[in-house]
Amino acid sequence: MKKEKVLVIIPAYNEAENIKKVIDEIKKDINFADILVINDCSKDNTLEVLEENNINYITNIYNMKYAMSIQTGIKYAKENDYDYVIQMDADGQHIAGEAKKLYEHMLRTNCDIVIGSRYLKDTGYPCPLFRRIGTKIFEVMIRLFCHKKIADPLSGFQCLNKKVIREYAKMGAYPEFPDANLIVEMLYKGYKIEEEPVKMRLRESGESMHGGIIKPIKYMINMFYTVCFIVIQNIGRKRVK
Amino acid sequence: MKNGVFIVLTVIISLYIFLEVRSKKFSIKESFYWMMAALLMLILAIFPYSIDTIAGWLNISYPPSLLFVFCILFLLFINFRNSKKISEMQERIVELEQNLTLVKAKQDKKK
Repeated sequence: MKKEKVLVIIPAYNEAENIKKVIDEIKKDINFADILVINDCSKDNTLEVLEENNINYITNIYNMKYAMSIQTGIKYAKENDYDYVIQMDADGQHIAGEAKKLYEHMLRTNCDIVIGSRYLKDTGYPCPLFRRIGTKIFEVMIRLFCHKKIADPLSGFQCLNKKVIREYAKMGAYPEFPDANLIVEMLYKGYKIEEEPVKMRLRESGESMHGGIIKPIKYMINMFYTVCFIVIQNIGRKRVK
Repeated sequence: MKNGVFIVLTVIISLYIFLEVRSKKFSIKESFYWMMAALLMLILAIFPYSIDTIAGWLNISYPPSLLFVFCILFLLFINFRNSKKISEMQERIVELEQNLTLVKAKQDKKK
């Protein structure tokens, strides 16, 4: 029987303080998976940490931001014929042991995408109010337009199968923030998406890409507009079952 | 019914933007500002006297000039944003070309 190839992709930007711990955890808890860190032109010594610890990595030619780094990792997975991809953050929020749960869920249910959800069950994740409201808005939108309950549509902690790897790799306009918008699009395309309750930690050090006041507001407007646009685009089109 | 023309015009503009995005010639993100401008036009077409009220608040004696101010500001904003994007892209292209040159040089050495 062919052994299934699993790749954990970790986009990293200025994560020198966290990356080593994240990788050690992955090596311990999901030792069957390969690791790929996508160093997004970090200005700190992330690159040195990766080299010192002999971690498999690629460095972007310029600072491509989070989403493009993810897509680079997915393209790498496609090129190297991986069967599954697990997306994890480099800031230590995502726990490797929980990633294993996503992978097992995928094998069990044979779905296309498994999202690591903080809100499906009470996992004790201390979520800021603004983020909780945002999550709720998109949860309602997805339920309304796609008739599917996704409790944590803003979670980047996901496991993808080969079909999705191919779909994402060929996407010309991979979204800047691949969250609720991508879920809506994939649901319209007929992909099967499920959730698995997972525990997550709060970031220990470094700066979040959604930090400050302006960035989350811009993110919310952008996401809301994009989701509405995708929904309008699909009005009248038959949903793939 | 004079406003009807502007309402139809706005709907046509919105539809055009929408179809451009749908046919992947324009990104959803970039369409945002144009759609917002179309929406503003639609509001002004439906409630034409709102421009008089806003002009009153801003002490502008000739309300139509406020429309020109809005248009000029919007176009300046779009123009500035485009210039910024072009600069960023130029930098990226140079970086990509340099990297490609280095990769090619490495390959040539191997031969």
